[in-house]
Amino acid sequence: MRRLRALFSRLGGAFNKKVRDAEFSAEMESHLAMHIEDNLRAGMSKEQARREAIMKLGGVEQTNEKYRERRGLPILETTVQDCRYAFRLLRKNPGFTLVAILTLALGIGGNTAMFSVMNSVLLRNLPLPHPEQLVHLTLPNDQPPGAWNTGDGDTSFSDPEFEALRQERNAFSDLMAYVPLAAGKTPVRIGQDPEEAAVDMVSGNFFSGLGAGFSLGRGFAFEDERGHAPIAVLSYAYWTARFGSKNSAIGQTIYVKSVPITIVGVAGPGFYGLDRGNATDLWIPLQNRPELNAWGNPPSMNTLYGTPKWWCLRLIGRLQPGVSLPQALVILDPPFQRAAWIGVPDADPKNFKPLLALVPARGIQVVRDQYEQPIEVLMAMVALVLLIACTNVAMLLVARNSARQREFAVRISLGAGTGRLLRQLLAESLLLVGAGALLGWFFAVSASSALAAWSQIELPFSLDRSVLLFTFGISLACAVVFGLAPLRNVLSASANATLKTSNAPSQRSKRSSWAGKLLVAAQMALCLTLLLGAGLLVRSLRNYETLPLGLRTQGLLVFGTSPLNTHNDDEKTLFYQRLVQRMRAVPGVEFVTLLGNRLGSGWSDNNVYSIDGVKPSGSWEQIGMRSNDVGPDFLHTLGVPLLEGRDITDADGRQAPRVVVVNETFAKRFFPANSPLGHIVGGVEAEGPFTIVGVAADSKYTTVGERARPVLYFPFSQRSSVSDMEVEVHTSGDPLALIPNLRVALREMDPNLPMQKPLTQRAVFDESFSQPRLFARLAMFFGLLAALLVATGLYGTLAYRVSRRTSEIGVRMALGAQRSRVLWMVLEESLLVSAIGIGVGLPLATGGAHWMRAMLFGVAPGDAFSFMCALLGVVFVALVASAVPARRAASVDPIVALRYE
Amino acid sequence: MGEKKDVWQGTLALMVLKTLQAMGPLHGYGIARRIEQTSGDLLIVNYGTLYPALLKLEQEGYISSEWGVSDNNRKAKYYKLTRAGRKQLNKEERDWEQTTAILARFLAPGEERS
Repeated sequence: MRRLRALFSRLGGAFNKKVRDAEFSAEMESHLAMHIEDNLRAGMSKEQARREAIMKLGGVEQTNEKYRERRGLPILETTVQDCRYAFRLLRKNPGFTLVAILTLALGIGGNTAMFSVMNSVLLRNLPLPHPEQLVHLTLPNDQPPGAWNTGDGDTSFSDPEFEALRQERNAFSDLMAYVPLAAGKTPVRIGQDPEEAAVDMVSGNFFSGLGAGFSLGRGFAFEDERGHAPIAVLSYAYWTARFGSKNSAIGQTIYVKSVPITIVGVAGPGFYGLDRGNATDLWIPLQNRPELNAWGNPPSMNTLYGTPKWWCLRLIGRLQPGVSLPQALVILDPPFQRAAWIGVPDADPKNFKPLLALVPARGIQVVRDQYEQPIEVLMAMVALVLLIACTNVAMLLVARNSARQREFAVRISLGAGTGRLLRQLLAESLLLVGAGALLGWFFAVSASSALAAWSQIELPFSLDRSVLLFTFGISLACAVVFGLAPLRNVLSASANATLKTSNAPSQRSKRSSWAGKLLVAAQMALCLTLLLGAGLLVRSLRNYETLPLGLRTQGLLVFGTSPLNTHNDDEKTLFYQRLVQRMRAVPGVEFVTLLGNRLGSGWSDNNVYSIDGVKPSGSWEQIGMRSNDVGPDFLHTLGVPLLEGRDITDADGRQAPRVVVVNETFAKRFFPANSPLGHIVGGVEAEGPFTIVGVAADSKYTTVGERARPVLYFPFSQRSSVSDMEVEVHTSGDPLALIPNLRVALREMDPNLPMQKPLTQRAVFDESFSQPRLFARLAMFFGLLAALLVATGLYGTLAYRVSRRTSEIGVRMALGAQRSRVLWMVLEESLLVSAIGIGVGLPLATGGAHWMRAMLFGVAPGDAFSFMCALLGVVFVALVASAVPARRAASVDPIVALRYE
Repeated sequence: MGEKKDVWQGTLALMVLKTLQAMGPLHGYGIARRIEQTSGDLLIVNYGTLYPALLKLEQEGYISSEWGVSDNNRKAKYYKLTRAGRKQLNKEERDWEQTTAILARFLAPGEERS
């Protein structure tokens, strides 16, 4: 405590020096005066008395000095001096300073931005109490065969599973279930205006189990779940946006898919729900009404909440304190195994082994699965860029400091200690790093919001404490690197603290020039790796862009609709039939069809249908089928070639014989020898049977990158439950120009009918590889940045070396060396360095390419073309960077060079 | 802050505190002369070292200072003990007695032999 007090008092002592100096002088004066008086009284002469007093004091100046040292903090004062001096030097050299700070800012900023994304998506805990206890339940083996599932095979559970697992109180203090009402947003209405919101259905213990707080009102109780109460909790953001943060929101009615629901609470700020890149707007208890089915699935006997066969619930558990993941798994596995077969009693346990896994809830779950590797790869790339940037600045510093060798020698011979000199240089590097980090931070703030927008993740990539720590950490690492760089300069300066030479000796120490070359070679190796990674990703993107879709997207527009006020399948079918008729009448429209799942949106119906009464056996990979519900003329409208039989027509109505069109892969897999026409599909389930009447060519369904699968196209009007349909419109003109006319036509049918997400079909498919596109662009940016940095680094090194060797070159030329010989001398050096860099870089790049294999599409990690491009890129960088220094060397005038000495 | 726990430094602080306890508020010169006299002129105090020591004690809060007028009508800076200083003096006195007692025991048998 006392020491601390003294420290503060000394910190204070560093200020207000003049007043304090004057005070101590006065004290000394009075001391001497009293002493002299005493001495005089003791009988000394005036002169003697004075001398004796000063001698006894030990010298006025010395005392003053000691007193001052004790008063302030000498180390603080010299540090301030160092910083001031460093600042002056940096300002004197604005070009160097600017380049160094910008380089560092790019490196640090890029890393910070990338890390903030990684932090949000992969690392950050949920903003809930004891987030380390929260675990997601997953199914690595997917659901049992025959279960109705949502397509999210590895995250969705059945109701019997939920009920069985929630009893296991030894493992979980609470197990929560939740499921979205739609893949995207759900139509809701507050007052008069129809709009859309992201709605989740949740179990009664959702808020209490998670420990989410409330800004207003209450959450749900177990009775609300059991009674399927029509109540809702709003998210804080939604409440703010839609209700202006008014307390009167509580008790108001919100219509979700026309079902009136009463608002009872508002969640705390910062809670965005679970598991999706998009924030949840409102939560309602689990519902069993057909309109409010999970994922907006068409209600049927098989897919209503509570149906044992319907695997739709996502589960998140809160572990009992002190229970580890393996312990919990041991407790949970027996009930899990038992419940897995409820609802699919006829499934064969030999074909399938249910598997339960627990995954710590961190980051954003859905996004996490999708982005984990790409983000790690990009993080590694941006880290390499920082490494290159750091070596660049370090080399710049070393080069500049060796030009200051004479200054150091002077200072040492004037009595400066090595430590003091080193501190001075460290102050310079710290200033540079500090400025770079500050600028980089601002850069990162805008970059990370741009990244969030591009990656279509709605959640804020807030720059929180761990990001701040990360930035601080890498800045510190940079500072250490630059701290080591000048050390050598200082040591060599003290070793030969001589002022003798005027110009640099041509016989510079071999070792130091080699160290520089090795650094550049290492940069080249890293650059090669980055360029190869970027090249591979760009090639993958090209593949996505040029892959044939199997359908004609030109002139195709797609939008969604949800019929309001239809109560059964007949009414719904009628609605869509009328809709098709109405759309056909819109001027400019050539063909119209309907689709249950929008093509290219990633969504699909998956099931296994029996063929001619026999259920195919085998793994999902072998027999899994996709299906889509379609309207009349769908092949014609989409431009998919018909190989055999006929298209679906208006005549395939509700009362007509049930028919289906299959794709080529389906025909080849299940009817390898003969034509599938006339064979029967389905019939075991509640609906069907359907007769195959046509075979279509393969076309892309879920995404551009999908592999061909057997696909069945059912007339939507013949399904036992009609889902909300997407409308596909074909025109010979600009599809987007049709939108106003279509909107008018829709409004004529029903003024409440919203047009959901109208897009060209091409845009939907383009969006299906927006993620690879983003990664390819970022990788390309990193690669170019690396090339630019390496080029400036190499240029700087070579230019510096040429300027140091001016007199040597002058001598060579005076002795008859050809200009071309001098030119080659410089080029040779840079090519040699590149060769070493490439030699080291090739294995590194190969390893990197294999690591990111999963991100590649249609390109092998060892793709020769990409390798060639990366190699040429490095050589090109080397040549460009050495061109100017080489020309300068060749144009040295021997007379001038020699006179310079 | 790497202060050297020099024995001399430590004892000087103790002497200053003790002097101030015995004499009441006193200026730097007076303290120096008093220490010299008390030691029976066996100690030669370099007066210059006294001032940093006084400053240190003041920074640590054991003494405080203010300007006053001396007996000879001269302006001088007077130092006096604070409450913390008094406590510290008690503690240091005890420590010192303990140390000397231990040392005395070590030295006693040696005297017997001679």
